[in-house]
Amino acid sequence: MRFTQSSRERLALLMPAALLLGVVVVIPIGRLVLLSFERTELNTGLGSRFAGLAMHARLWQDGRWWGSLGNTLVFTLGSVGIEMLLGVTFAVLLDQSFPGRRWARAIVLVPWALPTAVMALAWGWIFNDSFGVLNDLLTRAGLLHGPVAWLGRPGTAMAAMVVADVWKTTPFVALVVLAGLQGIPRSTLDAARIDGATPSQLLWRVVLPLIRPACLVALAFRVAQGFGAFDLPYVMTGGGPGGSTETVSLYAYRSFYRYLDFGYGAATAVEGAGMALLLFAAILWLSSRAREAV
Amino acid sequence: MRTSPAGNGRSFANLVLAIALAVAGWNRFAAASRRHAETAVIRVMVPASERPFWRPIAERFARTHPGARVELVEGAESTDLREDLYTASLLARDPTFDLVYMDVTWTAKFAAAGWLRPLDRLFTAAECESLLPVALAAGRYSGRLYRIPVRTDVGVLYCRRDLLEAARLPAPQTMDQLFATAKRLQSPPLRWGFVWQGKQYEGLVCNYLELLSGCGGFWVDPETQEVGLDRPEARRALSFMVRCLAADGISPPGATTYQEEESRRLFQDGRAVFLRNWPYVWSLAQAGDSPVRDRIDVVPMVHEPGRRGWSTLGGWGLGLSSYSRHPGLAADLVRIVISLEGQRWLCARTGFAPARREAYRDPELLAANPFLVRIGALHQHALARPTIPRYDMASDILQRHLSAALTGGETVSGALAAAAQETRRVLGPRVPGR
Repeated sequence: MRFTQSSRERLALLMPAALLLGVVVVIPIGRLVLLSFERTELNTGLGSRFAGLAMHARLWQDGRWWGSLGNTLVFTLGSVGIEMLLGVTFAVLLDQSFPGRRWARAIVLVPWALPTAVMALAWGWIFNDSFGVLNDLLTRAGLLHGPVAWLGRPGTAMAAMVVADVWKTTPFVALVVLAGLQGIPRSTLDAARIDGATPSQLLWRVVLPLIRPACLVALAFRVAQGFGAFDLPYVMTGGGPGGSTETVSLYAYRSFYRYLDFGYGAATAVEGAGMALLLFAAILWLSSRAREAV
Repeated sequence: MRTSPAGNGRSFANLVLAIALAVAGWNRFAAASRRHAETAVIRVMVPASERPFWRPIAERFARTHPGARVELVEGAESTDLREDLYTASLLARDPTFDLVYMDVTWTAKFAAAGWLRPLDRLFTAAECESLLPVALAAGRYSGRLYRIPVRTDVGVLYCRRDLLEAARLPAPQTMDQLFATAKRLQSPPLRWGFVWQGKQYEGLVCNYLELLSGCGGFWVDPETQEVGLDRPEARRALSFMVRCLAADGISPPGATTYQEEESRRLFQDGRAVFLRNWPYVWSLAQAGDSPVRDRIDVVPMVHEPGRRGWSTLGGWGLGLSSYSRHPGLAADLVRIVISLEGQRWLCARTGFAPARREAYRDPELLAANPFLVRIGALHQHALARPTIPRYDMASDILQRHLSAALTGGETVSGALAAAAQETRRVLGPRVPGR
C-alpha cells in the first residue's frame, strides 16, 4: 500500500470525526466536570460560583447518595450476572442447527426492540397486587394465598426490576455472543474433535475461551447501561418504596431538573461514572485472574 | 482512494466553500423567517389532551387582537415531562414559551430562579378578586404574584352510597369512623375498605397532608420555615396510614404502590368502599359503562374528632415567562382564560374545576357538571402546599420517609424524626418572629 497523502491532509480527513467527537462527547463531559466544582444558588436566580470540592464533599456525606449507589450496584450486578449466564446459554442454543432456527433468532430479539419505558409500564402492571398477572398465576397454582404487592416492598421491588431488565436485555447479550460464536472457524472445532475432545471439553476449553472477547464486549455495554439505569426505576417504582430502588442516574436527574442544583447533580453524575469505571475494571481484573486459574 | 494530492486539496477547498455558502444561506433564511414572524405569536404548552378545549380561547384571542395569534404547543401528558421541557427552555433563556402552564407546586421554584415576571401590575385587584382566594394565594411567592390560577383540584373522599345505605351507616367524618365503617363493609381481597395513593411520589404527600391537617398538624410553615413533622399530630396521621395497611387493616398491601389510576380502577370496579382521589374520578365513575354509576357519593376527607376535614389543593395556572417578547399580549390571553366564557370553554366538557368564583354559580357550567356545587364548597378548606423554592427537595424527603414507614423500612416516629431533621437542613435556619 502506498501512502501519498501528506500528514496535513490526513489530519484534514480526520477532522470531521474528531470535531464531531469533540462537540458531542469531549466538550459536554468537560463542562460537566467543571460544573461539579460549582455551587448553584436557586435563591439568587441560579447564579453559579466556584466552590472547589464542596459539592463532592457534600456527596460523600449524603446518605441518599450512598443509598442510591448501593441500589445501583445491586441492580447492576444482579441483572448483568443473570443476563450473562442466560445470554451465553441462549447464544450457544441458537448456534446449533435446528428447524425454525431463523424464527427463533428473530423472536428472541423482540424484547430488546421494545422501548424500555413501555416495557417498564407493562411490568409494573404485571407486578400489580390486584390486577397483576403474576399474582393471578401464583394464586391459581396454589403458591400464594393472598395478593402480594411486589413493588411495595424494598426487596421484591428490586427483584422485580432485575427480572424486567433481564427480560429486556438478555437478547442483547445473546446477540453479541452469538456473533462471537459464529466467528469461531469450523476448522478449530474439527481439530479439537479429531484430538478427541468430548462435547463438554469442547464447550469449556475451546468455545468459551474463544468467545471471551465477545462476552467482554457484552459485559462492558451491560455494566455501563446497568449503572446508568434510569427509565426502568423512573417508570416502574419512581425510586420507591422508601428510596430502595433509586439509582444514581435517577438521583442525578432529580438534582438537575427538580432541585435545579446543577453543581451537585454534576458531582453525582461524575462520581457515578467514576464508580461504573471502577466496577468494570474490577470485573475485568477478576475475569483475567479467573482465566489464569483455569 | 488514489487521487492526486492536488486534487484532494482542491476538493477540500470546495468542501469549505460549500459549508461557508450553506452557513450564509441559513443566515439569510433565518433573517427572512424573523421578518415573517413579526405578527406576534403567543406560545403556551398544554397537555395534548387539553388542547381542544384551549382552542376556542385561542380563537377568541385572534379575533380581539388583530396581528397576533396563539400557538398551543402540544406537550406530554405527564406533569414531570412538561416541567422538564419548560425548565430546559427557561434555563436557556429561550423566548419560545410566553406563558408557562404551571402546576401549583412550581411557583416558588420558577419565581426564585428568575424565570417568571411578577404579575401584580399587570392584573387589577378586581381581576384577582374574581378568583378563588386559596388558589390565588398559591401563586404568591415572597409577597408577589407570579401565577394566575385557571383551574383547581381538591382532594375528596369517594364512598359507595349503596353499601352505606344497605348497612344503615352514615358517611364517615372521623378517621376512626372511616376505619370502623370500612372494616364492616369490606371483604378482602374481593372488596377492600379504603384505597388511596401510597406510592413514593407527590400524590403520597397530598394524601398525608390531608390527614396531617385533619390531626391539627402542619408540614412546613412557608413564613417561618418551621417544620412540624416531628410533632405528635404528624405521628398520629402517619400511624393511621400504617394502621390501614396492617394485616387486619382496611387497605390492600398494594396501596403502597398505587397512584391515582390504580386506586380509581379498584373503586370503579366496585372493589373498594372508600377512595381518596381528585374530582376527575367523578365523571369517569358516573359514566354509562361504570359498574358503580349512581352508587357513589363524595364527602370531605376524614379528620380527628373536634377538627375538620381538609383537601390538598392542586390545580393549574399560568405564569408569564421573563423571556417573553410580548408580556402585554400574553397577559391579555390570561384574561380570556379566566373570564367566565374562558372558564366555560375549559371546564364544561372536561369536568375540570374552574378557578373563577362566579363559575361555581354559572347555570351553564352547573348544567354540564352538577358535581361542581360540592367541589366549590370544599375550597373553603383547601390546603396549599408550602410555597418554598426548595419544595421539590422537601417533598422528596417526605415521600421517601413516608414510603419507608408504610413499607416497614422505618418506624413511624423514626421516619418522621429523620424527615424533620433533613427538611430543616434543606430549609436552613428558621426565620424568627411573625
